[in-house]
Amino acid sequence: MGSWAKGMRSAFFDTLFGMARKNKEIILLTADIGAICHDKFKQLLPKQYINVGIAEQHMVGLSAGLALSGKIVYIYSIIPFLAMRCYEQVRVDICCMDLSVKIVGIGAGFDYSTLGPTHHGTEDIALMRSLPNLTIYSPSDNLLASKIAQVSFREQGPAYIRLDRTGHPPLYKTSKEINLQQGFSILRNGRQLSIITTGNMVYTALKVSEELSKYSIDVGVIDLFKLKPINEEKLINAIKGVPNIAVLEEHCISGGMGEKLAAIIFSQMKKPPRLKLMGITDQFCREYGRRESLRRVYKLDTSSIFDVILRWIKE
Amino acid sequence: MIVGELKEKAKLIRKKILDMALSAGSGHIASAFSCVEILISLYHGGVLRVKPNNPTYNKRDRFILSKGHAAIALYAILADCGFFPDSVLVRFAKETGHLGVHPEMTTPGIDVLSGSLGHGLSVGSGLALAAKLNREKYITVVLLGDGECQEGMIWEAARFSSQRRLNNLVAIVDYNKLSATDFLKEGLSAGILRKKWEAFGWESMVVDGHSFDKLLPILNKIHKRVSYKPLAIIASTTKGKGVSFMENNPIWHYRIPVGNELKFAFREMK
Repeated sequence: MGSWAKGMRSAFFDTLFGMARKNKEIILLTADIGAICHDKFKQLLPKQYINVGIAEQHMVGLSAGLALSGKIVYIYSIIPFLAMRCYEQVRVDICCMDLSVKIVGIGAGFDYSTLGPTHHGTEDIALMRSLPNLTIYSPSDNLLASKIAQVSFREQGPAYIRLDRTGHPPLYKTSKEINLQQGFSILRNGRQLSIITTGNMVYTALKVSEELSKYSIDVGVIDLFKLKPINEEKLINAIKGVPNIAVLEEHCISGGMGEKLAAIIFSQMKKPPRLKLMGITDQFCREYGRRESLRRVYKLDTSSIFDVILRWIKE
Repeated sequence: MIVGELKEKAKLIRKKILDMALSAGSGHIASAFSCVEILISLYHGGVLRVKPNNPTYNKRDRFILSKGHAAIALYAILADCGFFPDSVLVRFAKETGHLGVHPEMTTPGIDVLSGSLGHGLSVGSGLALAAKLNREKYITVVLLGDGECQEGMIWEAARFSSQRRLNNLVAIVDYNKLSATDFLKEGLSAGILRKKWEAFGWESMVVDGHSFDKLLPILNKIHKRVSYKPLAIIASTTKGKGVSFMENNPIWHYRIPVGNELKFAFREMK
């Protein structure tokens, strides 16, 4: 197991720490959610780290006051407690005032697979993409998470970044492979079908496409790591000519990435492809255990995705 | 300004508020009337160290109108102090006027967007905390509604602010005992609210919110406080103060006087 096993959260905060040492304006707030990767902040940059306590709504208002005073504020908690519990505060205090507060949520999808539905990050994209002025990033590996930490500091205004604790082998070897402006990467070319996906699902999509290639099905994978704003023109160019597009998200279909892409595709393409939306259907997940078992409930585990796509492409 | 002049100023401001609301057909007159003396003390009484000709002067004291629906009062006072021309006021709540019922940062003299109750104390604690981190001496004052103190977010901010010793943060509660639809059920004693703030680690006191003689001595000390605790001033007020038939009557939360009501109102403000 390489250092990638520490996961993208470590990569993100290690990079942030490096920037915070040189920029005293960077402040990290947490709502009593700890992480080993925050220890450096606590010990070495105590004036730039504040545990606000279990008070997420207040943490958002507080971050706005700090940002109004010239600070670049990063706020951290588990996704439902940031995107949902204090959604109105995010809307009014951060987005409406257009402030440089970066909302960093951990636990995308079923990352917290033993903690039950209160801790699942499965409706956040639907909520956050409705907010004006908000840039949304969803990294898929450590290097990308690190680059997103850097760009979040350089870019003005509100940002929402969804992270995962689960680590897996790197998808990007060098920064050159990452085009932050474009907001997506073509990780694998495919002429029959392209899977557009994000976050932890990207690794799964690559495994599925490997398997499908053994059945002579040519499947591409696009890592859409910038969920808002989407570079629509470039994305359409990337999928032009591919007759089948599957959108895969560990997130509810309702209001998710797939519905957004469907809107883009059908409103802008003269010859739209066949489209399959794969995600969480309209029910809370009551499973506990490994992440794959939770995904299986919605046919989002590796072998189910393989079956579903195989059947779909043969229709 | 001496107290006599401030009292005349209060009459003038109430008249301006009524004019603005009539012209727009919109405005929370009663909520604005209850905090006129508080706002005049802060601005005309020389409490807030601000520069009307330089609204974003970086060492200014910060003010947040957390009970944002009283912005109609704040606009009248900011214009009177010279933050923007008086002629702008007639465009209140109208197209191209840029003066909404709730305050926005695009208006000179307004530091924070408000309108959704409960946010202002948290945002204010952020301004106060930044001042501490940057070793700046400015004070942050947040004007809250008493109904607004029912919001949980207020108490999250209250706990945090005292724990962090934000003694450069002052909350003033416009204790007019009425919210949008009814009298507050907590009882009519300002002392009960004062005890809540004290329980959260704040220094707190009750004052007559319509008396310049009582308000100014307290407000004039906020830059020289010795305590490490933040300060909560419970200003005992009357919703609708200044027009007898509007006082303490819930229906006046968002109502504009018409006909005879209007005649009586202007007569009382002479």
